Amino acid sequence: MNLSIILAIAFGGALLTYFSGKISKKARDVLAVLISLVIAVILAFFYNTSSREIFYTGFLDFPLILRIDTFSWFFAFTIAVIGSFSIIFSLSYIRKKGNTDYYYTMMLLVIASMIGIILSGDLVSFYIFWEIMSWSTFLLISYNRGPAIAAGIKYIIMSVTGSVAMLVGIISLYSHYGTVIYTELSGLLYNASSGYTIFIFVLFFIALGIKNAIWPLHVWLPPAHSEAPSPFSAVLSGTLIKIGTYGIILLIYVIVKINVFLNLGEGIVSARYIIAVTGAITILIPTFIALLQDDAKRLLAWSTIAQAGYIILGIAYGTSESVASGMFHFFNHAIFKALLFMVVGAVEYRTNGVRDLNSLGGLIKKMPVTFVGGLIGICGLIGVPLTNGFVSKWLIYKTLIINNSPFLAFAALLGTWGTILYSYKLLHNMFLGQLPEKYEKLERAPFSMQLPIVILSLAIILFGILPGLPLKVINSIESGFGLEPLTINIWGITSDTGTINMLNLFVAVFLIGIMIWLIFKGSKKSAGIGQYDNYAAGTTVPKNKYHYSVDFYGPLHRMISPYLRDFIDDFYMSLARSIKNLGNGIRRIYTGDVGYYAIYIMLFLALLIFIQIKWKLW
Amino acid sequence: MVMTTILEIIFIILLAGIIGLFFLGLSRKIMARIHWRYGPPITQPLIDIIKLFNQTSMSHGFLFNFGIIFSLAGSVVVLLFLPFGRICPLSDSGGLLVILYLMLIAPLGLALSGGEAANPYTSIGISRKLLLAFGYELPLLLILLTVMTHYNTISIVEIVNKQFQAGWSFQHLSLLLPGIAYILILPAILGFRPFELIQAPQEISSGPMAEYSGKFLALTTIQHAFNIFISISLFTNLFLGGAANPGYFFLKILAVFVIFLFANAVFPRFRIEQAIKYLWRWPSILAFAGLIIVLITGKNF
Repeated sequence: MNLSIILAIAFGGALLTYFSGKISKKARDVLAVLISLVIAVILAFFYNTSSREIFYTGFLDFPLILRIDTFSWFFAFTIAVIGSFSIIFSLSYIRKKGNTDYYYTMMLLVIASMIGIILSGDLVSFYIFWEIMSWSTFLLISYNRGPAIAAGIKYIIMSVTGSVAMLVGIISLYSHYGTVIYTELSGLLYNASSGYTIFIFVLFFIALGIKNAIWPLHVWLPPAHSEAPSPFSAVLSGTLIKIGTYGIILLIYVIVKINVFLNLGEGIVSARYIIAVTGAITILIPTFIALLQDDAKRLLAWSTIAQAGYIILGIAYGTSESVASGMFHFFNHAIFKALLFMVVGAVEYRTNGVRDLNSLGGLIKKMPVTFVGGLIGICGLIGVPLTNGFVSKWLIYKTLIINNSPFLAFAALLGTWGTILYSYKLLHNMFLGQLPEKYEKLERAPFSMQLPIVILSLAIILFGILPGLPLKVINSIESGFGLEPLTINIWGITSDTGTINMLNLFVAVFLIGIMIWLIFKGSKKSAGIGQYDNYAAGTTVPKNKYHYSVDFYGPLHRMISPYLRDFIDDFYMSLARSIKNLGNGIRRIYTGDVGYYAIYIMLFLALLIFIQIKWKLW
Repeated sequence: MVMTTILEIIFIILLAGIIGLFFLGLSRKIMARIHWRYGPPITQPLIDIIKLFNQTSMSHGFLFNFGIIFSLAGSVVVLLFLPFGRICPLSDSGGLLVILYLMLIAPLGLALSGGEAANPYTSIGISRKLLLAFGYELPLLLILLTVMTHYNTISIVEIVNKQFQAGWSFQHLSLLLPGIAYILILPAILGFRPFELIQAPQEISSGPMAEYSGKFLALTTIQHAFNIFISISLFTNLFLGGAANPGYFFLKILAVFVIFLFANAVFPRFRIEQAIKYLWRWPSILAFAGLIIVLITGKNF
């Protein structure tokens, strides 16, 4: 099977979907789902293979190369799977809205270009697919119109800035070494001066960091994630920003190589520490900001930035455990964040677009499956033991503590405790508490929404109890990078400095849970009562008002909100304003009126004549 | 091998439950004496639990039941990771980091259960609980990181063993400041005054407990008993050198408990923002200084 066939199916399928939508809506839906599933299935067959092919040579004489190895397989497969779930979720979500052909086409195009980026074997094809991805993403973010257009413009401006920086980097690499192919570039920077390596690093990091939303390049993400259609938010947050992660791993471990990277700078001013500290800041600040959000999707968007911080911290720290944790957390985050966006999307769909955390409540009675998905999703996000997030976070804490970086470990741990607060708020304000009367007739989420939610929830538990499955793949990626692989078994990780065994934990929790359940069942049966039979200090329970959700963390909010304005965003906005003012100033001169230009020419000639008469310069 | 582990597990769970309930009874007695009252008998919590199991209870639905079971299971599982004397059935399954994470199941379970009760008093209590936990976790994490960095391990059993060789953590000069910080935040972890703002009966009708009745109250009481045992055991293991046998360990945690009970008896109550400000100021500064000292003096093991 050829790699170019996958891309042909992906890109061709995207176009085909558009035209089939003109003939029949049903055929288009089936086609879109089919294409995304076919890509995932084909990719699954590439497991543990490696191949490489030149798919086009006509572009400026660059041989455009596709390649697959365990590293790109891991990312491509995750992206394809999350992508197809999100298209299944879209089926009912998008039906009520207009422009559905356009939506599916763009969605498939984004997935196709992401897979293109991952499978690229040289920087030029990487860049081409990168641009396709940026533009198709822009079109999808702005799909809802209104505030979504502003969010999309913010995204595309930052994205283009990044692309230009990366292009400069690629050109520079080409003019230095005469090649842009990964395998030929790899290790060449070993002989370069550290100044040049840092130059390349900075250029690439602007592009990759913007896509990965690393603080202080994160400002596009909160509006974009909250304004995009929910299934696309799942793709955005679960996989698209991880393209930045992929690029960073590619840069550090494939192109620059680990030994050069670790020797770049000394002690605290080394590249390794600077990026790791940036990752730690990316965990802390967005976590605190997420606590203050009242919009469900905005809260998740800030949480995405924070979780991306863990991934960057792990990847940049450079021990084999930390890199494993970074990649494992990428995988886990793709699952649980996609799930959480789908949960919020399902609620948004049933309540006709409500995502304000202050006006929902009690939906557990109406949408139980969605609630369970949300519960498992936040457990994974927090990293409750027996969910997948636990193992990846445990790995990063452990390696940071053992290698004597307690402050980085502190940032990571404190970020987790903040996560508990905001994720409980998300769940509580939507699903728990009193059900408002207007939602009493609410139906369950449709099957096409419940299916991906259920499957992703099961995946979270599965990889929580059997972390060895993904860690096995990650291990073989690590040996490719020249890192020492971890000692793993299917239940956990063994090492001299700390062992983890999920089987013991699972059996213990399961048996003890069963025991307590038996005691609970065996004792006197309890009578079920409704939400209006509550304790209300002697009065009757007021309808629609008996819910504590507004200002859920009020005291903390009042304490920290003065310190947590998004200064970075303010800075960019003032930069944008001053550029606009500059443009306005220039427009006063360039009025577009020929008369003015004639006067300018006259004045300029007069000036020249004056200079000539006065000083006789020429 | 497996048999002894199972016996150890049963032994620890039973003993922790008995000690926790004894502590609850003792606390009512000592508090009463300090307040110049006679107080109920020490067995009163046990009598209450038996009585509550026989009473009718009200349930608000599936999550209301599940949360309580989840929470209690979380507490019991933590017991298996904490060295009790020298007994620690699951010592090789993840160490202190796992304990830290497992300790969060109990409040999360109660929060989920209370959330479905659809009562604002419950929600306010939960919100306060989570905020207070966020308040004390900041210094607590610093303290635990200091200890783990100092002993260069993440295994609590190893930390206890190293204290057998080199004396209690309090005797190590570089761990003195974190130890003091731990003492300052322990009342908040235990929910004792001046941090008794989660239940606050006079103010928010017992907060998370507002909707519980019958067996639910009984289970939360048991959970509370376990919780007291766990919080004090963790402190004792990390800073007071653990113990070579369960009897000695019991004496140590009893001494710690009674000292904090005295503080509980005489203090009024903080408001939640005062509590957070306090926790983020002195204990955090001390813990932070401790971590820097440990980093400067280097690893000692």
